[in-house]
Amino acid sequence: MSDDYSDDEYYYDEDEDMMDADDGDSAPSDEEMDMEVFDNDFKLPGKARKKSYEVDSEPLSQAQVERLMQTDIEHISGIFGVDENVASLLLRHMSWNKERLIEKYMDHATAVSVEAGITPKEEKPAKAAASSRAGSSSTGPQRSTRSSKSSNKLKSPSPAPKEDEPYTCPICFDDTQTRTMALACGHAFCSSCWNAYVTGKIREEGEHWIRCMAEGCGLVCPDPFVREALGEDKATWNRFRELLVRHFVGCNKNLKFCPYPNCTYTVACPAAASKSALLSIVPTVTCGASPDHKFCFGCSIETDHRPVICAIAAMWLQKCHDDSETANWIKSNTKECTKCQSTIEKNGGCNHMTCKKCKHEFCWVCMGPWSEHGTAWYSCNRYDEKASQEARDAQSKSRASLERYLHYYNRWANHEQSAKLSMDLYKKTEQKMEEMQISSDLTWIEVQFMKKAVDEVFKCRMTLKWTYAMAYYLDRGNPKELFEDNQRDLEKAVEDLSELLEQPIEPEVVPSLRQKVTDKTVYVQKRNEIMLEDTANGFLEGRWQWNTSVPGLE
Amino acid sequence: MDARLRRVNKEIADCKNDKSSKIQLDLVDESPFHLKGSFPGPEGTPYEGGRFEVDIRIPDSYPFQPLKMKFITKVYHPNVSSASGAICLDILKDQWSPVLTLKSTLISLQSLLCSPEPDDPQDAEVAKHYMTSRSSFEETARYWTHIYAGGPDPKAKDGGSGGGSRDEVAMAGLEKAHVDQFEALGFERGKVIDVLRRLNYRGANVTKITEDRVVEELLKP
Ligand SMILES: [Zn+2]
Ligand SMILES: [Zn+2]
Ligand SMILES: [Zn+2]
Ligand SMILES: [Zn+2]
Ligand SMILES: [Zn+2]
Ligand SMILES: [Zn+2]
Repeated sequence: MSDDYSDDEYYYDEDEDMMDADDGDSAPSDEEMDMEVFDNDFKLPGKARKKSYEVDSEPLSQAQVERLMQTDIEHISGIFGVDENVASLLLRHMSWNKERLIEKYMDHATAVSVEAGITPKEEKPAKAAASSRAGSSSTGPQRSTRSSKSSNKLKSPSPAPKEDEPYTCPICFDDTQTRTMALACGHAFCSSCWNAYVTGKIREEGEHWIRCMAEGCGLVCPDPFVREALGEDKATWNRFRELLVRHFVGCNKNLKFCPYPNCTYTVACPAAASKSALLSIVPTVTCGASPDHKFCFGCSIETDHRPVICAIAAMWLQKCHDDSETANWIKSNTKECTKCQSTIEKNGGCNHMTCKKCKHEFCWVCMGPWSEHGTAWYSCNRYDEKASQEARDAQSKSRASLERYLHYYNRWANHEQSAKLSMDLYKKTEQKMEEMQISSDLTWIEVQFMKKAVDEVFKCRMTLKWTYAMAYYLDRGNPKELFEDNQRDLEKAVEDLSELLEQPIEPEVVPSLRQKVTDKTVYVQKRNEIMLEDTANGFLEGRWQWNTSVPGLE
Repeated sequence: MDARLRRVNKEIADCKNDKSSKIQLDLVDESPFHLKGSFPGPEGTPYEGGRFEVDIRIPDSYPFQPLKMKFITKVYHPNVSSASGAICLDILKDQWSPVLTLKSTLISLQSLLCSPEPDDPQDAEVAKHYMTSRSSFEETARYWTHIYAGGPDPKAKDGGSGGGSRDEVAMAGLEKAHVDQFEALGFERGKVIDVLRRLNYRGANVTKITEDRVVEELLKP
């Protein structure tokens, strides 16, 4: 972890924020807190100036997060003069909100300790007996009063057995067990019952807050007790530690656990910690365990939905979900040639289709002749508002709005599909390139240009895909036209590059193909940057106008 | 021996030996992990005199996971589903403790019958009934106890006014006049009772639910 900022400042700022949410008192607002986070912290060292579509974030390993937790624990342990395990339970109980814990503990140390499962509740046997009498109207405000009604316990919890009398565990009825364990409450049970119980809580329920097994006892197992109960079971102990880390991360708005299966990394992204920040940035982050572990810090919609903000991506997906039946046919993999009606299957990522039968060239997306696409007025990306006006006159309004939606959806879905197909195509190409490497004098480095190009095509198609979701909601006007110009330039460049990649490869054409592909790749990369950068700037400037109300932007 | 089996066997044996509690446990099939429990309805409640049967499934991780229980006998109670017998009780969920047993859990169910918790209902309609008109609720609960749990016939006490169809109406916690009113429109009596029960057509609610609304419901297939 970088030393350029102090841990304390960097991630405890939100303490006050959380207090705000809990108490509704006059703590600083979300926005103010964010500014503070922006100003004070997170100056990443030695990194190139970030682009406006990038967001500062830092990956943290589980050990690094554990160190952050330990700092908190030591701090609280020092202030209160309590054991570190006690401090850990106190913090967990208070959702790792140190400020709030300190404030509450100073006033009501005993009550907080009871709530946190550290000290047993004061015994009030008379009252317990009374509450077990049926028929009285429920007096206690807590649900636990219900469980206390069951007066007929199997056996009252017994203290640890004396040497001479045989011990029977009140849970398993086993009288051969010799080892018992108990928390501060003295509720003793055999260690194999504790083991089964603690293991189940961790493995089955994903629980880190494990109460005593005695009925109605609120004591919680501190870490060393859990460890002891688990014995040699290292795997479950590690799972427990991960659960603690996840809880800590979940309590901190600046942190997010990597969503990839079996990954234990965390990402810190204070810039995206508030809802309001997510209205102007798209926080695509990477966890640090692998460059493939890319995810959105703000939502779980898709790993990378740049350039659109989370709220619009969510709106769009909801719409697609709602309208999926009407739109389903578009996703189909086959279409008919507009000229001879023979069925054509799309098998590459390129949208430039040539009918095998009649050689008619057309665009897969709009089914228009390709001849109109190769020119300067490539207009496949832009929904023709005038044509839609006519459609509105001719057809019902709902028909027109469906057509408008289908225009965007069609292109949205097509880029997704094309991206996948270009990956498939590349696998075939890759094989061919490897063969060529053996049969010709091309080196491994020389055949890598294809991989770079395909990766870029994939990335750009993802950008393009989301630009259609964005364009669907953009209000008509100058900004939208400029947006669509950028979109068109990128799309044209991507289609050109895609087409190059689908050409048959022979060793003798490789040198010239390599030059062409490399040049195009550089160009496509540039167009993508422009698209992402300009859209991101638009969000920061508040330039975009929407044709519908966007949650949070009203 | 398997720890779960040892414990369950001991619990069943303990229950057999304890004659005082009136809690009974029986095997349903060959499995010792599928049982039927029963207990008498608590005195001084509308459930008095009935005997209530509960289906019990003992999960693999028992006693570290709670028992799965539901009423076999139909019970009219805010925390029990009138349709499925599902039970809303904290100790069957997050408040479970491994020291609880088959017997102590059945005793908890028995005391649940004494003190309904309408704020945390399993059956919203029954809970509404309980909240809006306690006496009408108790009347219905008593009828259910009579019909389904073998409890005493409430009519014997009441003097048997109204005859056979009144039972049905009272069991649903409705007014005979209301049922008659919609039956007179040409709807089948059973359907009228069903719809009015679902709409909670009782007490102050009657003024809030329009006749059209009821008819609309009655017309639904
Ligand atoms: Zn034991
Ligand atoms: Zn205890
Ligand atoms: Zn990861
Ligand atoms: Zn997002
Ligand atoms: Zn053709
Ligand atoms: Zn086109």
